[in-house]
Amino acid sequence: MKNSSWIRAMFEEGEKLKKKFGAENIYDFSLGNPITEPPEALKEELIRVASSDAKGMHRYMSNSGYEDVREEIAQYQSETSGLPFTKNHIVMTVGAAGGLNVVFKSILDPGDEVIVPCPFFVEFMFYIGNHNGVMKLVDTKDDFHLDMDKIKSAITRKTKAILINSPHNPTGVVYNEKELSELAALLKERGQKGQRIYIVADEAYRKIIYNGTRLPNLASLYDDTVTVTCHSKDLGLAGERIGYIAMSPRIKNVKSLIDATIFANRILGFINAPAIMQRVVSKFQRNSVDIMEYQIKRDAIYNILVESGFEVVKPAGAFYIFPKSPIPDDVLFVKTMLQHHILTVPGVGFGKPGYFRIAYCVNMDVIEKSRPYFKEVGELLRNGKQ
Amino acid sequence: MTVGCAGGLNVILKSMLNPGDEVIVPTPFFWEFKNYINNFGGVTRFVETKEDFQLDIGNIEAAITKQTKAILINSPNNPTGAVYNEESLRQLAGLLNTKREQGQEIYIITDDAYKKLVYDNITLPNVFKMYDLVLSVTSHSKDLALAGERIGYVAISPNIKDLDLLVSAMTISIRVLGFVNAPALFQRVAGKFQRTSVSIADYEKKRDALYAILMEAGLECVKPQGAFYMFPKSPIPDELEFVRTLQQEERIMVVPGRGFGRAGYFRIAYCLPMEKILGAREGFLRIGDRYYKGGK
Repeated sequence: MKNSSWIRAMFEEGEKLKKKFGAENIYDFSLGNPITEPPEALKEELIRVASSDAKGMHRYMSNSGYEDVREEIAQYQSETSGLPFTKNHIVMTVGAAGGLNVVFKSILDPGDEVIVPCPFFVEFMFYIGNHNGVMKLVDTKDDFHLDMDKIKSAITRKTKAILINSPHNPTGVVYNEKELSELAALLKERGQKGQRIYIVADEAYRKIIYNGTRLPNLASLYDDTVTVTCHSKDLGLAGERIGYIAMSPRIKNVKSLIDATIFANRILGFINAPAIMQRVVSKFQRNSVDIMEYQIKRDAIYNILVESGFEVVKPAGAFYIFPKSPIPDDVLFVKTMLQHHILTVPGVGFGKPGYFRIAYCVNMDVIEKSRPYFKEVGELLRNGKQ
Repeated sequence: MTVGCAGGLNVILKSMLNPGDEVIVPTPFFWEFKNYINNFGGVTRFVETKEDFQLDIGNIEAAITKQTKAILINSPNNPTGAVYNEESLRQLAGLLNTKREQGQEIYIITDDAYKKLVYDNITLPNVFKMYDLVLSVTSHSKDLALAGERIGYVAISPNIKDLDLLVSAMTISIRVLGFVNAPALFQRVAGKFQRTSVSIADYEKKRDALYAILMEAGLECVKPQGAFYMFPKSPIPDELEFVRTLQQEERIMVVPGRGFGRAGYFRIAYCLPMEKILGAREGFLRIGDRYYKGGK
């Protein structure tokens, strides 16, 4: 229990500091809880739905969600993938976290393995463990892209899935079409030998993507793809817990997987995704919060880090950046940063010691004001090293 | 705050159970309980209630083993509509206190999803006042008619020892199970409506109407004091066949008792418009004639 999350630990540390020094004097980059507000039109739609006199607006519906909502989403999925998604391939969920638990409950037998590229979002470990799966971490390359040889050697007879999170938390990397095609080819090989390995795509950050980078569509590259997403980030609705699972129509026996996910959604206690938000988000599949705003913040924090002498891969998506810690002990480094009122999360919390994560989904002001402190810490450590 | 009662129960069980731990569940019971307990490697120990669906303390005592971690009670009850009386709950508390003195801590988990739906001016006994190790799970699916919104909460007795530890475990469970938090919007809304509910009188009228019809038809049934379910005895031992007959010949849809761990009975959910209840009268009467007046 004590080691359950570095992110939360830092968040709580930050709360203490804020009480002591005042919130305005603390630069909190610890939590991926975006300050961005939902689009104005979404608020209007919410008011419209909430004011509706129609009967039964808040009753139970089918455990998979409202039919018309799933139809809208299927249409969007078809547009982006070119595959014939229907409403039957969509199950509305309590966010991506709920969706991933439902998927793992549905596909894993005890002892089944799930490959997870590292660094990784630590919650994945719990989601897999909840359903008696075994997480197999696989290191990525120096630029955080997939290392196909490592993936290949991590596959065993027990491998049931590989969990692909792109844009990625905590690195902000977006996997390119080439590496994903290679991954697909590798998995197809296993498929021909009779072993089905799913790609479970966590696309929570799919719309937070910069400079015209394109997110390759995994379902169009590989048949056995299950996509999980949510509207926490793209529509600024993290607290409302609304997302969905899209199961590729090309999955063999997809019907039994669909049935399993609907059943799992029920018995895990989710029952169904929150009713009112299902209706609201169905109209906003093609919208998102202002991505340009995030890109400006990405550029600002990247420049600050580079100026201050940090080694860092420029992220192409999400709202995280994952620089190398100037000293090998990332926990010590993060504690040093704390003394300068900068809150970040040590890389060890993502399975990657020697790095740290900055969540830059904060006010621009916080980023700008943190500049001198990053410089100071950078200099301090360089001098210390000499 | 939890994603409904179902979410709350899963969070509690995840926090409390080690694999092999047992949870006592009085029967008939809401079938999902078994799935929830099973999700975390727990074992469900079923215990029969009395003829009137009240708790049978003797049966409960006999079911307690070294592995017993909790007893899950649901009152008002789905599927029987029974409201456990004060006396039986005090006896239960007494029994568990004896176990405590012997060094075994057994929690009472109360599923209070129907807590505001009680009739005949009775008051739902408050288990918190009777026993220290109590967790109450509730939702606003029924009392505020928000079933689709998934909003509920767990109330943990301040008298639980190691309270902080349990609360921390539940806070982590809600996160790692994928709920993360209860839906934001309806947390705010429900907060203001703790003392409010849909019309209980409405449900009571429906209960009275349906109960009168069942009596007129000659069916055997314990009069429920809460929830919106009735759990009559099937006129023939094979309630599956009876339920099919009711459906095919009278277009009345009910659920066989074995779906609640009690064959030979069937459940009627009367949370529907009054005209549907009254409309089913003729059908129930014909069925009564057929099975009880020699029509068989």
